[in-house]
Amino acid sequence: MISIGIIANPASGKDIRRLVSHATVIDNNEKINIVERIVLGAQALGVERVYMMPDSYNIGYRVEDKLNTCDELKCEINVINMFRFDGIEDTLKAAEFMENLNVGCIVVLGGDGTNRAVAKVTKNTPLISISTGTNNAYPVMMEGTIAGMAAAAVASNRFNNRLFVEKDKRIEIYKENELKDIALIDAVVSKDLFVGAKAIWDMNNIEKIFVSRSHPASIGFSSVVGCKKIINPNDDYGAYLDLNSNDTKIMAAVAAGIVIPISVSEPVILNFDDEYEYITKSRGTIALDGEREIQFSENQKYIFKISRNGPNHVNVKKILETAQINGFFTV
Amino acid sequence: MNITNEQVKNMYQTMLKIRKFETRAKDLFAEGKIPGFVHLYIGEEATATGACANLRDEDYITSTHRGHGHIIAKGGDLKNMMAELFGKETGYCKGKGGSMHIADATKGILGANGIVGAGHNIAAGAGLAIQYKKTDQVCVCFFGDASTNQSTFHESMNLASVWKLPVIFVCENNGYGISVSQARHQAITDVSVRASAYNMPGVTIDGNDIFAVYEAVGEAVSRARKGQGPTLVECKTYRWRGHFEGDMTVYRPNGELDAWLKKDPIPRIEKYMLENNIMSEAEIANENAAVDNMIKDAEKFAEESNVASLESALVDIYSDMVEEGRVR
Repeated sequence: MISIGIIANPASGKDIRRLVSHATVIDNNEKINIVERIVLGAQALGVERVYMMPDSYNIGYRVEDKLNTCDELKCEINVINMFRFDGIEDTLKAAEFMENLNVGCIVVLGGDGTNRAVAKVTKNTPLISISTGTNNAYPVMMEGTIAGMAAAAVASNRFNNRLFVEKDKRIEIYKENELKDIALIDAVVSKDLFVGAKAIWDMNNIEKIFVSRSHPASIGFSSVVGCKKIINPNDDYGAYLDLNSNDTKIMAAVAAGIVIPISVSEPVILNFDDEYEYITKSRGTIALDGEREIQFSENQKYIFKISRNGPNHVNVKKILETAQINGFFTV
Repeated sequence: MNITNEQVKNMYQTMLKIRKFETRAKDLFAEGKIPGFVHLYIGEEATATGACANLRDEDYITSTHRGHGHIIAKGGDLKNMMAELFGKETGYCKGKGGSMHIADATKGILGANGIVGAGHNIAAGAGLAIQYKKTDQVCVCFFGDASTNQSTFHESMNLASVWKLPVIFVCENNGYGISVSQARHQAITDVSVRASAYNMPGVTIDGNDIFAVYEAVGEAVSRARKGQGPTLVECKTYRWRGHFEGDMTVYRPNGELDAWLKKDPIPRIEKYMLENNIMSEAEIANENAAVDNMIKDAEKFAEESNVASLESALVDIYSDMVEEGRVR
C-alpha cells in the first residue's frame, strides 16, 4: 500500500513574532485547506493511505469530513491513535511512528521548530517541508497540491531517491560530550535570561551565530551571515560569526518586515570535523532555528559542530521533473 | 526582554500569594465562612502575575468572575480582599460586593465582574479615557475563552483597533466556558486568530510559563504605551478547581487535570530560581512561610471585622453624579 504521512503543527503561525515583527498569522482552518490539497494531490497520483498526526484541532478528522462531504476522498486517512500532549512531543512521536511504518514521504506543515523536531527522530524518511509562517529558513512556501503530487511520486518508489532526495546538514550542540540538541539552520548564543516566549528578535542580546547554510534570500539569522557570505545546502561546511563586534555593519532581514543594520565580524568557516568550543560568560540562552531552547549559566562548556546528519529532504522540482521524464503523469 | 533577580522574586511572591489565598478561600468556603460563590484561580497564577508585572500603579485592569488572582497581581490588599469575601464592612466594597465585585480605584483595578464578557467594554472605555487624557497609561483586560463568543469582545476589539486604544486583551484560555469545553463552544482552538479580523496582532503563548507571559504582555504594553494600539495575547492555561466551588467537574475527561498539574507554574519558577541561584531552597521555604502568615493575617482581619450593618444597605449604592453634573 502506498502511504505518506502528514504532520501539521496546530501551534505554528501564532507565536510572539506576530507582535514583535510583521509575521503572518496562519490559522488552523488555513492549515486544513492546505492539508486537503496535499491529500487530493497525493491520492490523484496513487497514494492509498495518509497517516496524520492527531492534534487539538482535529485537522485530520476535519479534512476527512470535508473531503467525504464533497465525495472527493478516495484514499484512507488514518489519524494515528496515540496519547496527545498538545506539544512538541506529539510531533516527535508521530514522526517516529510514521518512520517505523515506512511511509514513503512525510509532509511537514510548520515552521523551523516543527521541522527540527521531525529531523530529530527521522533517519530515512524523505521530508517535504511546507512553511506555515513568514519567518522560516528551512521549510518553503509551496502549494499543497504540488506537495501532495511530489509526495506521491516519492512514495511510489518508482524512482531512484538519489535523484531528488538531499541529505541536509545540521548543527550539533554538545554539553559535556553529550549531544544536547540540534538545529537545522542556525544556532544563536543570546544574553536573554530565559526561554519565555521562545522567539528571539533583539539583536543587541545576540553574541554569536552558527549556521549550516546562509543566504541573503533567507530570513532570520542565516540571512545575517548570508549578507556576508553565502553557504549553500550542499557545501560541506557551515560558519559562525560574532554580533555587535563593531567590525562592519550589514543590512539583513532578521525577521518578517525587519531589515536593520547589524554589526558583525567576518564569518569563519566551520568544517565538518571542526569543533567550536564555547565557554559561557554569564547566564543566557541558546536559540535553535530561531527559538530559545537551552538555558545556561556562567562557565559552562558547549561544543558546536556542523555535520551532514540532518534530515532527507525532497527537492520537489527535481522529483516532479524525474516523474515527468519517466511518464509518471501519463494516464 | 530581560528581567532582574528582584523582579523574579517579586513575581514568585505574587504567585504564592494567589495560590495560598485561593487555597484558603476554598477551605473557608467549604466551612461556610464565605457567603455567595467563589471562582478560584488556582493553576492560572502565571498569567495574572506575568501580565501585571509589566504594569504601574496608574495602569488599569479589568477582571472577571474569577478575579482574585488579577487583583492580587495588581497589588490588591489581601486583608481588604478577604474581608470582602467574608461580607465584612472592612472589605473593598464594604462587604456588599463579595468575591465577584472587588475593585480598587487607587490601584487601577476597575473591578471584578459577575457578568461574562462585561470587562471588554470597560477596558475599551478606560483605553479611550487614557487616550483622551494623553497619558501613557495602559489597560489590561482579562477574560476567558468563552467570553470571546460574546458581542462585547468583538465590539471592544473593533473599536480598540479603529481608535488605536492602549488596551491589552489578555485571554485566559482555560479550555472551558463554565462546563462546556472549548471544542464544543468555539470553532477555533486559538483565540488569538480572532485578532486578525480586527487588524491587530494576536499571539498564543503558554499561560503557565511566567516568563512567556511577562515577555509577550511586556511587548504588548510597550506597543500600547507608544500609541501603536491594542494587542490580543492568548494565554493557554487551566483552572484546577471547578468553575465554582462545589462544581464536581464531571465534564472533564480522565487524565486532563493530571496532565495540567504537571505544568504547575509555581514549581517551574522555583526550578528556574534554583538553577540560576536567585533563591536557595531555604529562602524559598522562608518565602512560603512569610506568605502563609500574610494569609493568616488577612483571615484574622476578616474574622474580626464587623459584618456590614443593615443600616448601611443603601449607602454607596446610588450615585448623585448626574445631579452634580447638572449643577455644574
